[in-house]
Amino acid sequence: MERREQEDDEERQQSGASDRLIHRVVASGGGGAVGHGEPVMWPTVDGPLGLSEERSLEYARSFFRWGFFLLPFLWAVNCFYFWPVLRNRSPSSSSSFQRIRHYVVGSAIGFLIFTVVLSSWALTFAIGGERLFGPVWKDLVMYNVAEKLGLTGWI
Amino acid sequence: MDQNLVSAASFSSSPILETLGEEILRILYPVSFCMFLVVLLVSALISSDNSSMSLSSIASIAYSESASDSFWSKLSGAFLNSLLFIAVITILTFLLVLLFYLRCTPCLKSYMAFSSFVVLSFLGGEISLLLLSRFVVPIDAFSFLLLLFNFSVVGTLSVFLAKAPISLTQGYLVVIGVLVAYWFTLLPEWTTWALLISMALYDLAAVLLPVGPLRLLVELAISRDEEIPALVYEARPVDTQAGGRRLWRERRNFEGNPGSVSDNDSLRHENPTPQTTMTITVEASDEDSASTELVAPLVSQQPRRQEIEAAEGIGLGSSGAIKLGLGDFIFYSVLVGRAALYDFMTVYACYLAIVAGLGVTLLLLAFYRKALPALPVSIAFGLLFYFLTRELLEVFVVQCSVVTGFYYFYLSLLILLCSCDCAPQCALFVLEESVTEGIGLRRSWLEQVCTPEELWLEKVWNLKELVQERHSYKELD
Repeated sequence: MERREQEDDEERQQSGASDRLIHRVVASGGGGAVGHGEPVMWPTVDGPLGLSEERSLEYARSFFRWGFFLLPFLWAVNCFYFWPVLRNRSPSSSSSFQRIRHYVVGSAIGFLIFTVVLSSWALTFAIGGERLFGPVWKDLVMYNVAEKLGLTGWI
Repeated sequence: MDQNLVSAASFSSSPILETLGEEILRILYPVSFCMFLVVLLVSALISSDNSSMSLSSIASIAYSESASDSFWSKLSGAFLNSLLFIAVITILTFLLVLLFYLRCTPCLKSYMAFSSFVVLSFLGGEISLLLLSRFVVPIDAFSFLLLLFNFSVVGTLSVFLAKAPISLTQGYLVVIGVLVAYWFTLLPEWTTWALLISMALYDLAAVLLPVGPLRLLVELAISRDEEIPALVYEARPVDTQAGGRRLWRERRNFEGNPGSVSDNDSLRHENPTPQTTMTITVEASDEDSASTELVAPLVSQQPRRQEIEAAEGIGLGSSGAIKLGLGDFIFYSVLVGRAALYDFMTVYACYLAIVAGLGVTLLLLAFYRKALPALPVSIAFGLLFYFLTRELLEVFVVQCSVVTGFYYFYLSLLILLCSCDCAPQCALFVLEESVTEGIGLRRSWLEQVCTPEELWLEKVWNLKELVQERHSYKELD
């Protein structure tokens, strides 16, 4: 009986030691990201499959800048990709989060402006129609343009 | 001790089954969605009376079909077309292998990016123009061009720059598959069927024969620990198991390749964070026995003769998630689209056949754990069901509806659906049986080997659980 208890204790100690090792490894990894004892916050919407914080700062910046080249979809992708950064408004998050947030908020504003402008123009065009624009409407609407240029004939 | 046995068995068998089901679903949803979109496009845009339109394309360059030709001339012409197409694809795949061998990864990547941009902008633009004309949507030229430009640029970035949101990448891959599949559905009918059969045979040969280009490519990629730049749909890994499997594979790597331990060490140093879950990223190398994606270029039929890099075949990604090449998406959807041109009944039958074939292929993948061609089984089932439905079921259905109305029709359709639905479930059942049998074998062997001393047995069980778990994974190899 005593021997079993001793051996059980030994086993438990060994397994406990290995558990402690694993926990220490995990905790140090998690602690390095945010702070001790907190769960790790991933900056991207993909979670652990996505980018690390340093790379996500570069990506946020390049998406924001390239969006100015008539590519507002990149702003939308930026907002969607870094949604956890937008959602997490606590001041206790790390500094890189704040920097990423700066670009993501800029992209969100840009995409909102673009959506408003484009939808107002498109709705005016669609609803106004010929009454508002006159015969120019027929020249601007896409299916007529496609027919005129013969674009649909390839397929 | 019995509880230990049960827990050991359940611990090692249920994660495999749960995650296998989840992984199958994660591949099945995008494939089904792709097929659904192609069926919608086909039914919206193609009316059966203008089936005489032919494409000026490589696929019909040898013979353009017209309805008045005789049976044999149609058949021979169709096979001639498809042989030509297969020849072109073989040459292109060998070119790809050569480029990969010479380590021209930038030119491969830029070529892939360019071809996906062409598909998304030109093909996508034309199909959306057709949709606009069909549904008379009053959008103006500027906004349309702006939206198209945005769509194609973001698509190219997300497919080739590997770090876009995963759902966006997957969505764009499905869209590319839909566009190319719709375009292939426009081929003349006999050519389409001949092409499907030839592509299935080619896939089988190219992946399994030792001289096949796809197999060479996979072996090159494995030996170099690189990923092939290709258009491949990778399902999101099921998290916990992927983490565990990844660790296990790394451990196995250390044992199995003593010569390449330094490479693995350097790889570990590249991922500096010690968190175990961080290593799920896709950029890590492939393991020794895991399979990678396969590549077969798919020739696009634009007049300027550009090509698309598509991948065919099914494999396991480095994170343990299932990868399915885009070529498989395309050809499954072509089959279903062509079935949609006939009637919706054939669509249902072909869809079920393809899903059953995909289930069988995934099962084989779980057993063999190497790159497998995903086309042959599904295309074979699909073709079989298409022709059977067209010849036999239609007559039956017409008679039923004439005689007694829809009651018998629905009943027969239900029976057909149930019998087809059983196929993937039977596959899963077979897998479960084999897994439990494997574990049972180990258990009985261990029972013979261990001494009946209870104290010693418990210690041994704790150790043997780990070995057993690894052995049960090996059982599936």
